[in-house]
Amino acid sequence: MTFETAADIEAEEHWARRGDIDLFIFRKFSRSAQARNPGRPALMFVHGSSFSARTAYDLEAPEFGEYSLMNVFASLGYDVWTMDHEGYGKSSKTDGFSYIADGVADLQAAFPIIERVSGHENACFFGSSSGALRAGAFANSNPDRVAKLVLAALVWTGKGSPSLKKRAERIDEWKANNMRTVDEAAYEGIFSRDVTGLTIPELPRLAAAAEMANGGGSVPNGTYIDMCINLPAVDPTKIECPVLVFRGDHDGIATDEDVLGFFSALPNKDKQIIMMSGQAHNTTIGINRHRFWHVLHDFLTIPARIDQ
Amino acid sequence: MANFRQNEYWAENQGVKLYLFRKRLNDDRPRPVFFLVHGSSFSGPGGFDLHVPGKADFSFMEKFAGFGFDVWTLDHEGYGRSDRTDGNSDVLNAIPELEASMKIIETETGSTSAAFYGSSSGALRAAVFAEAHPNRVSKLILDAFVYTGKDAPTLIERTKKLSQWTSSNTRAIDRDFIHSIFTRDKPGTAEDGVADALADYELALGNTVPTGTYSDMCQKLPLCDPKKIQCPVQIIRGEHDGIATEEDLLNYYNELEVRDKQFIIIPGQAHVSHLGVNRARFWHVVKSFLEMPERTDQSGL
Repeated sequence: MTFETAADIEAEEHWARRGDIDLFIFRKFSRSAQARNPGRPALMFVHGSSFSARTAYDLEAPEFGEYSLMNVFASLGYDVWTMDHEGYGKSSKTDGFSYIADGVADLQAAFPIIERVSGHENACFFGSSSGALRAGAFANSNPDRVAKLVLAALVWTGKGSPSLKKRAERIDEWKANNMRTVDEAAYEGIFSRDVTGLTIPELPRLAAAAEMANGGGSVPNGTYIDMCINLPAVDPTKIECPVLVFRGDHDGIATDEDVLGFFSALPNKDKQIIMMSGQAHNTTIGINRHRFWHVLHDFLTIPARIDQ
Repeated sequence: MANFRQNEYWAENQGVKLYLFRKRLNDDRPRPVFFLVHGSSFSGPGGFDLHVPGKADFSFMEKFAGFGFDVWTLDHEGYGRSDRTDGNSDVLNAIPELEASMKIIETETGSTSAAFYGSSSGALRAAVFAEAHPNRVSKLILDAFVYTGKDAPTLIERTKKLSQWTSSNTRAIDRDFIHSIFTRDKPGTAEDGVADALADYELALGNTVPTGTYSDMCQKLPLCDPKKIQCPVQIIRGEHDGIATEEDLLNYYNELEVRDKQFIIIPGQAHVSHLGVNRARFWHVVKSFLEMPERTDQSGL
């Protein structure tokens, strides 16, 4: 797709509160892009286990091209939002584990703020990895808030998953502490665990620096624990909106069969599953991320049905 | 309204003359070739370049010509303007027909391959062609497709008349039959006037079509081997399409060894997606697939 970052992207910071927990919400939009593309919806990006929101979706690496998914979709006219879940980024560091269910509660706390600021009563939700589980579980319990749902790097039952088999070997470690350190070495491991060559070599350094700047270099263990022992976290039969399931060819977080099983169980017949070569687990910051932008944008802009 | 250039050509397969039709924007720019393969009951231009009196935007060929593609279609043996023969024009017969067409396309455009779209048994034709001539098919779109046919409502009904399909190489078609194509799955998924416009076009050219693909779909499935497909694949299914079950198509999808593949269900659509009420949604997903950006890495992964 032809893409140029808008020159007038505005950023806003907002805060929600869940109990004693302060939750950081971040927004980007372009007035000129919205004027060119009236009616584009709000788009909520839900982060996964190991990155805070802006590391995952607003990474600045101009020398290597556009790495901010928020910039891309703000430039396409969307009202783009993301948030740091409990224990991540600028949100409160707590004694909690920030499980998937906590992520759902975070999103429930955030959405009234989004509605008050933007006027949007619902949004299209995108989540990657455990962010897909957060977004999917949120769609289960808050169907009125989710206009469309995009699940990338999704795992459903976890059966046969290479990544989760390895992760489960350290389950005692994840359960013993509520937080773990994420640094350049940790990101090197994440970006190379499926395959090497589909992210730029500089990415671990860039991500680690961003994560230190955004949140201090540690993340909670709850979603790791959930993915090892508490799947399935999402019930496909209770998702009411259109769904796109996006899967990278080399993603070890799930098997093809597991993801297809989820897709098959979705009752809404407005659904797509797209497998893409040249992609691993971290679709949004891979070398071929522009192909992901293409399918995400096209899913979000499919014409409305004209029949009743 | 866009200004289109159109041409007619004649291909030949074992002495059978085959009508080839082309539409594109009216300029000399080279454009990506997009080949549309028809199914069992109506011709290429009939289905893909349909004009409905008083209504706009029914020509699949013009829509994609307008998007910048060089759009081609063929009347298979026994259909439309192609020779009416004693043959039954079965699915495998399409392989040499499409190869004969590609030789003309190569001469006319310089392109040695094309993106292929097929609907219903046209999807079977396109898929077996992609298996036999992978160098000719850059992308493959299978719409209203069926793999094994297991539990397909339409094929259960069709098989009740198998002796009729196998006892003659042709079957009669009339206006009522053409109407039934648009109502058998879900009335209301096509607009009034579409079936009549198609009937007007087809019945002016003849009142029979071959039985080969009907016979194949009743007794010879699976005809396609997903493991032999080498190009990116998009499978499109109308929500109400009775030609296959969702499970059957997901099995085909799962067995595809190519890793650029899409499975898309469009609600509010039945068997003939490109002429349905919600065809704009169909165009959208097809265009998106055809215009997928290239990979930028050289990893070979």
